[in-house]
Amino acid sequence: MPARALEGFRIIECGEMVSAAYAAKLMADMGAEVIKIEEPASGDAARQRGPFPGKLPHPEKSGLFLYLNTNKRGITLNLEDRRGQEIFARLITQADLLIHNYHPTRMPALGLEYERLARLNPSLVMTSITPFGLSGPHKDYQATDLTLWNAGGLCYLNGGGPGSEHLPPLKPFGQQAGFQAGVHAAVASLGALFARVADGLGQHIDFSVQECLMGMAEFAPVVASYAGLVVSRLGTKPLQPLDLMECKDGWIFLCCVEEHQWRAFVEIMDSPQWAEEPLFADRLKRAENWDALKLLLQEWVTDQSADELYRRAQARRIPFAPVSTMGDLLSSEHLKARGFFAEIVHPVAGTFAYPTVPYQFSATPWTLRRPAPCLGQHNAEVYGGVGMRAQEVEHLKQAGII
Amino acid sequence: MSKPPLHGIRVADFCWAWAGPYGALQLAHLGAEVIRIESATRLCPSRQIPPWPDEQRGVNRAGYFNQYNQGKRSLTLDLKKPEGIAIAKQLVAKSDIVIENFAAGIMDKMGLGAAVLRSLKPDLIMIALSGYGATGPEKDYVSYGPPQVVLSGMSSLTGYQGGPPMQAGFSYGDPNGGVHGTFAVLCALLHRAKTGEGQYIDLSQREACAMLLPEGVMDYTMNGTQPPRMGNRDPYMAPHGVFRCRGDDRWVSIAVRNDEEWRGMCAAMGQAELAAASRFATLAARKENEDVLEQLVTAWTRERSAEEVTRCLQQTGVPAYPSLDGKDILANPHVAARGFFVELAHPEVGTRRHLGIPWKMSRTPCEVHRPAPCLGQDTDYVLEEILGLSREQVTSLKERKVLV
Repeated sequence: MPARALEGFRIIECGEMVSAAYAAKLMADMGAEVIKIEEPASGDAARQRGPFPGKLPHPEKSGLFLYLNTNKRGITLNLEDRRGQEIFARLITQADLLIHNYHPTRMPALGLEYERLARLNPSLVMTSITPFGLSGPHKDYQATDLTLWNAGGLCYLNGGGPGSEHLPPLKPFGQQAGFQAGVHAAVASLGALFARVADGLGQHIDFSVQECLMGMAEFAPVVASYAGLVVSRLGTKPLQPLDLMECKDGWIFLCCVEEHQWRAFVEIMDSPQWAEEPLFADRLKRAENWDALKLLLQEWVTDQSADELYRRAQARRIPFAPVSTMGDLLSSEHLKARGFFAEIVHPVAGTFAYPTVPYQFSATPWTLRRPAPCLGQHNAEVYGGVGMRAQEVEHLKQAGII
Repeated sequence: MSKPPLHGIRVADFCWAWAGPYGALQLAHLGAEVIRIESATRLCPSRQIPPWPDEQRGVNRAGYFNQYNQGKRSLTLDLKKPEGIAIAKQLVAKSDIVIENFAAGIMDKMGLGAAVLRSLKPDLIMIALSGYGATGPEKDYVSYGPPQVVLSGMSSLTGYQGGPPMQAGFSYGDPNGGVHGTFAVLCALLHRAKTGEGQYIDLSQREACAMLLPEGVMDYTMNGTQPPRMGNRDPYMAPHGVFRCRGDDRWVSIAVRNDEEWRGMCAAMGQAELAAASRFATLAARKENEDVLEQLVTAWTRERSAEEVTRCLQQTGVPAYPSLDGKDILANPHVAARGFFVELAHPEVGTRRHLGIPWKMSRTPCEVHRPAPCLGQDTDYVLEEILGLSREQVTSLKERKVLV
């Protein structure tokens, strides 16, 4: 069996939905031993969200949950109960990292106090992913993925372009704030685990999702700071073509950033005369006069096949891209050759293809050890590992603590 | 005070544009010594694009570069000259990590491929970030951040209800690819700390983007369908949207997670009778009547500022926040109180507000200690102090235009 990069690291994850779960998934997929703690009755809220096979809701069949929790073991524990917190303390003494995304207002009631946990285990790294961080006037504000995408300044940048003033800023698909918080918090957490190599000491990481997203807000904060201007979804792009356009059988993203790319594209279009107009002389002019250019390009693109145009453009090193559907992704020969998807068998949900990892390591490749856990699936094994007898586990189960 | 986590780790950074530099920025945030290898003969696009203060151009004045290269050093090296390649190799031999985001195959062509570099430093960690990855039938295809979002499938899922596919911002694929790369590098670094073994990592930015869409991908693998574009709506929450407020293009985001929050919102709006209306009483009812629901919410928000709506709803525990623009970010009192902004004196743009580090570590604090480097500002330092060249050797290299 190949070596695993994070083999031997023991991680405890708790919370809801995406951010902490994605951070821990990235680590589990690279070999860390992750124990996911869920609330006994209902489990992680992600279990209630689809997609579900046959569109029939079932807590063991959520596609979101199954994806976010590969390679983890799962236990149930009521952290609001005093006995639950005692058991949690036992788990903490054996852990390298605790990562959670409980809201700051709930942390004390759940026993998620770093100072107390650090006394139990001074080498513990604890990462608290919270919407607005653990300090500051908005720290107790409630948030969801949508409101965070707005609080980070990213939503304001996306939408219909010039002339679409009536349409609101547009969020991207899915749970993007959660995913970005997850991967960035995983980076911070591994940084702290690396710091620990030298002296064995842990620490507390206060991670703000809002700040994370602000740091990704593209040109917006920079243009404000350097030019005193506001960038929005309604503005024109600095360069063109850099836009989506409809072909006869799908959509394509036209992208000519460099002059040689534009020249090659003009040749693909059989060098129409209008392409030589001074209005379209360089990428800045093409952006200034995009209204006119867009119509001319659209007229030509309308008759093209998206995939054919994509291949012809790429053969000339022009970075066009077709708008992939999910079906296109799953049938991509390129992604197949790279092994991006893997069939994963789950005892209740069934067998489906899942995305694996976006990177290939020469020495420590991705490995699948187990599918996402059923609710409480590893209770006996994990609680046994901290010295609890089966009878005790059963008793706590009756009491609703496990 | 304790040193930052990656203190003593050196990164030879061959990146340019945005994806790689964003990934390397995270390593600099963690305290690594990140040395950008640049050249005036092949200037990074981010040094050449606006905004510039007072609209005065300058390779050291570009806000984009100065935001995403904080804390790094700059070595200028002409990699078209054999001596330039030789110096790059010397630097790699003294580095822990190499990061690059050229199109696949370019580093090999320059004689700086993984096999060569890893022979210079056996425990080297090298990561290549490319659009398509270094293997597979499309490995020679070219890509940037914006097309990656499209190619990953995200655009087919993103858009207004009934409208065309759309982008997710301008170039979301870049920082996303970069930060997944940072995660991979840290995994490799922890593996090296344990085993002494280095490795090569091939990252595809398109795949990094496709990691973010499980509700779409799994719908397809489970049912052969994909979710329709639904604007800002959510199947499990309503109201759930971005609503117009008083002012010029001002908006507030609101997400009501359950019936209790809906009743709280009705009270906050001063419309308690709405809470009793059966057409809005349950999630299913609100979803069914969502058009009317959104009109009612808009009628309330458009008379108020986004900040006022936010305060009012947050008081009852309903998630709401203004849709911040760039100026709002810089003026945000909350993140300012947390010390998020970085304002360091820069020789050519003065003291400007930049975004800092989104995490605070209690024992090994991370801080931005230096502004983004001016082009070539650390060339002497790298050659003399890291590579041990004499002043005369450096002068001679300069005369032969190797260090440009």
